[in-house]
Amino acid sequence: MTWTRRKFGGFAGTSLVAAFGARAARGQTKARVVVIGGGIGGATVAKYLATSSAKPDVTLVEPKHQYTTCFFSNFYLAGLRSLDSLTHDYETLARQYGIKVIHDTVTAIDPAAKTVALAGGAKLPYDRAVVAPGIAFRRGAIEGYDEAAMQTMPHAWNGGPQTKLLRQQLESMEDGGVFVIAAPPDPFRCPPGPYERACLVAYYFKQFKPRAKILILDAKDTFFEQDLFEDGWNRHYPGMIEWLPGQFTGGVKSVDVKARAIRTASETFNASVANIIPAQIAGELAQRAGLADQSGWCPVDPMTFESKLLHGIHVIGDATTTGDMPKSAFVANSQAKACAFAIAAALTGSEQIELHLFNTCFTLLAPNDAVSDAISFKPVGGSIKITDIFFSPVGESDEMRRQAAHQADGWYAAFTHDVFG
Amino acid sequence: MTASRSVVCAIAVSLVILGACRGMAADNERAAQLAAMCASCHRLDGRDKGIPSIVGLEKEKFASAMAAFKSGARSSSIMHAVALQLSDAEIATLAEYLAARPKESKLR
Repeated sequence: MTWTRRKFGGFAGTSLVAAFGARAARGQTKARVVVIGGGIGGATVAKYLATSSAKPDVTLVEPKHQYTTCFFSNFYLAGLRSLDSLTHDYETLARQYGIKVIHDTVTAIDPAAKTVALAGGAKLPYDRAVVAPGIAFRRGAIEGYDEAAMQTMPHAWNGGPQTKLLRQQLESMEDGGVFVIAAPPDPFRCPPGPYERACLVAYYFKQFKPRAKILILDAKDTFFEQDLFEDGWNRHYPGMIEWLPGQFTGGVKSVDVKARAIRTASETFNASVANIIPAQIAGELAQRAGLADQSGWCPVDPMTFESKLLHGIHVIGDATTTGDMPKSAFVANSQAKACAFAIAAALTGSEQIELHLFNTCFTLLAPNDAVSDAISFKPVGGSIKITDIFFSPVGESDEMRRQAAHQADGWYAAFTHDVFG
Repeated sequence: MTASRSVVCAIAVSLVILGACRGMAADNERAAQLAAMCASCHRLDGRDKGIPSIVGLEKEKFASAMAAFKSGARSSSIMHAVALQLSDAEIATLAEYLAARPKESKLR
């Protein structure tokens, strides 16, 4: 009796001290997470950390006050959506989720001192940092394509002013003109993007400039969902779109902005409007902070998305190199959730649940003709591998394609609500 | 003696409650983390536009829909891929969690 009581009492006392001790420790010093980059990955991770049981102080650093999505920007180029409908702000994240949003630029991360320095002079201490820097363009990949050239030959591979510039150029192009898209080598943001762009610009041309042509100068010899796109081009825009693989031209080597000329290894093409999408690497901050390896991308742990190069800093989204995962907004959102749950588990000392990583993509061939893909992934041996992959088949019924187009709209609304609140 | 015994009992009871709460909190967190995957396409406040709402669904209805997506009896490549990822236990957890979530419109 006495023995049992004493034993039990002793055990109870220890547990309670441990429980209260942990709570007191949490109360005294709330864990601080600094998220750098307010794109899809950054905004998602901030929101899911703020609502996690770890309840850390979450700071989101992003220079822009508004974010225009690059996904669905082809709808805008086609005149199917306004740029406003693709633009989101950080008000709900700040107001409803208590995230401290700082509109400033990060100048440096000190992984030893665990601080993030801002251009405005502030230094933010962190227990964990999450970096979501998106993409940058590989310098010198295309000769003559510098910052100034981008103002004449837009890449439009970030949503916002670049997308607007390309739309203006397409609007003022003469009927019978040639629109050239230089498609990048792998890996790059949004694998179906350049080819969907060809579809939706062709849809615009078909109505307003029916004699116009689209030429895709690809760095690659094949591309994502090629059969679906080629089928769509033939059915909706016969004779309007020409695709030249890298093996025919050697790829785009240089541009001459004044002459509106694009040179491949073998010939020179003149463009009425040129959309140059260069080879890509992880965003600039990742390069500067030492988070990227020689490939130009950031290697991460497949379970936690913690950098393999710098301890205590997680990297998510397009900037990462994660096995089979493509660079898409959906993947950034999926990784951000996994990363938020891993950080929350680490902060509370609880167990991380098994990850479900996913990608879905809706692609428009024409306004009532959309295709989709669905891919699931699993961490396997230090990397992330595809477990299942499904595509819309060629020859699907018109009704299925109409439904997918309708779902695409619904997906955009739900997805951006998931990210920005 | 009696007093110390009741203290021990009180501690024991509170421990059981603490344990139970922790267990429930952990289950709820696991459910919320699973539902986070759904939230990439389905709004969890019950509003929908093109993609059906899944909150406030009867548990049985949700579980049988997921079973149909898994087997391919119901056609959707996206939901087929999602259902294949989830174990029966995870589907049951999600069914419970989503059924208990009120639609925002019902709250108004």
